[in-house]
Amino acid sequence: MKRRQYVIGITALAATFVIFVLPFIFILLNASKTSQDSAALDFSLPDRWVFFENLIAVVQARDYILLLAYWNSTLITVCSVALMVIFGAMVGYILQRRKSGWNTVIFGFVLAGLIIPPAVVPTIWLLQQIGLFKTIHGMILIQCAYGLSFSILLFRQFIGTIPRDLDEAARIDGASPLQIFFRVILPLLKPVTVTVIVVQSITVFNDFTHPLYYLPGRENVTVQLTLYNFQSQFVSQMNLLFMNILLVTIPPLIVFLFFNRQIVAGMTAGAVKG
Amino acid sequence: MARVELHDIRKSFGKVEVIHGIDLTIEDGEFCVFVGPSGCGKSTLLRIISGLEEQTSGRIEIDGRDVGNLEPVERDIAMVFQSYALYPHLTVGENIGFGLSLARKPKAEIAEAVNRVAETLQLGHLLDRRPKELSGGQRQRVAIGRAIVRDPKVFLFDEPLSNLDAALRSQMRIELTDLHAQLGSTMIYVTHDQVEAMTMADKIVVLKDGAIEQVGTPMELYDKPATPFVAGFIGSPKMNLFNGEVAAQKGCEVYGIRPEHIRLTDDGDWHGRVRLVERLGADTIVHAEMETFGPMIIRTDGQSELREGREIRAAPMPEREFRFGKS
Repeated sequence: MKRRQYVIGITALAATFVIFVLPFIFILLNASKTSQDSAALDFSLPDRWVFFENLIAVVQARDYILLLAYWNSTLITVCSVALMVIFGAMVGYILQRRKSGWNTVIFGFVLAGLIIPPAVVPTIWLLQQIGLFKTIHGMILIQCAYGLSFSILLFRQFIGTIPRDLDEAARIDGASPLQIFFRVILPLLKPVTVTVIVVQSITVFNDFTHPLYYLPGRENVTVQLTLYNFQSQFVSQMNLLFMNILLVTIPPLIVFLFFNRQIVAGMTAGAVKG
Repeated sequence: MARVELHDIRKSFGKVEVIHGIDLTIEDGEFCVFVGPSGCGKSTLLRIISGLEEQTSGRIEIDGRDVGNLEPVERDIAMVFQSYALYPHLTVGENIGFGLSLARKPKAEIAEAVNRVAETLQLGHLLDRRPKELSGGQRQRVAIGRAIVRDPKVFLFDEPLSNLDAALRSQMRIELTDLHAQLGSTMIYVTHDQVEAMTMADKIVVLKDGAIEQVGTPMELYDKPATPFVAGFIGSPKMNLFNGEVAAQKGCEVYGIRPEHIRLTDDGDWHGRVRLVERLGADTIVHAEMETFGPMIIRTDGQSELREGREIRAAPMPEREFRFGKS
């Protein structure tokens, strides 16, 4: 039994290494190579280490567009995740606490948000009609809409574990429904809020396709779109491309490393009563 | 200060009526206990008085004011929950002062009120702790503190002691009785434990299936139970109740005799055999199998030397027998 566990453990570690660590090393190595060197796209040590030269080149490329992209991506991420937390918690609270005939309908819409894939062309058409196409706030609303269903599900599940007596005690103490939510319920949602913030901010920050469709224009570039700077039909600078990948991967990675434990806590809370 | 009157209170959940028209007056300063088995509607009735639940019909008056449609806070009541319902993210002090801070009272005033309450309940050294760092009894005291800090007209308790162990429960019983004497407010207390009802109440309301079975002082209910249900519910061990042939011989539908009102005596008319003996020290509970009656519980003194299997003879104390139904 002991030996078997050992073998399984080693196999799992090896698999993890191949799937997660090897690609990262590949990126790291190629980001340190010169342009000709990296064009070969092989797994070898660089002839000459030009890591910092590449870093500076990427940051300076196209008039420091990467910095603008960081700003745009951060703005979109922070705003849309904030909206998801506030609205997700509110809707989850109402769905969990106030039982009415509408709940089924609302819950149906929430599930539809998860199940039905968003259609790009009608969305663009709608955005154009209401004047939100090619705008940062339009993008924020879109990200919020895409992530809201999942957030509502998580919040609703977690609120189920908060005893209803607390709501009633607050009501007896004279709290209005809004005060019950903001002063009693919301502070207790911390674990699941952290989960939602981490999961959604990584998703939004890493999103490539949606900004590509809904946010065209040089001023509106997001970090994932900066990858196009170094790849085109005729010229590709693989070393700079990999450096760029490295730079845009790092912020989500840091967030994930720090909050990883809370994510699991928030995900499984409510799974078992206790 | 506050007299609570209920007029024909009814409550339905969907099509099921759970409270069937309750009329009750609780006098100012009275300690009133609602007691009954689970599902009898006692907690629902308390929640209707608190305003957490809305009555389907009927009128509630506190201090002569119709409060039937008011929010809990406007009724000038405070409630202590079975689960304590302390806010886990706030300290003890903030928990107690929460209601006052919602009412936007100045900070100094809140601090003073919280300190005064903490003094009364001996919580002074715990004010900066969070609820999870407290023991069950301390949490219960914080919950009571949260209730008394607002100086309400009526206190409502929903089985506040049922999560505590036996020793702590009897201690808290005394503390609550003291608190009532000290504050002199009207208190309504829900429990399924007849010992709590007997020891604390000025007035007991026995409920069964959403209707009042009997209202009276503890001793009234003990001495003059109106129905076999009340007779069986009040008093421990339970009253021996017999129906069928035995009752018919005694000229009633249900015949009852309390365990403490049966004498073991050699010239008794009741014959039987001891099945089980429970020795409690101060007294002894004898479970006997009697001829004609069947199983019967008898309480006798602690020094009794009865053993399992012994033949016994017993007789009821005069004037202590109960006959229910046609007499």
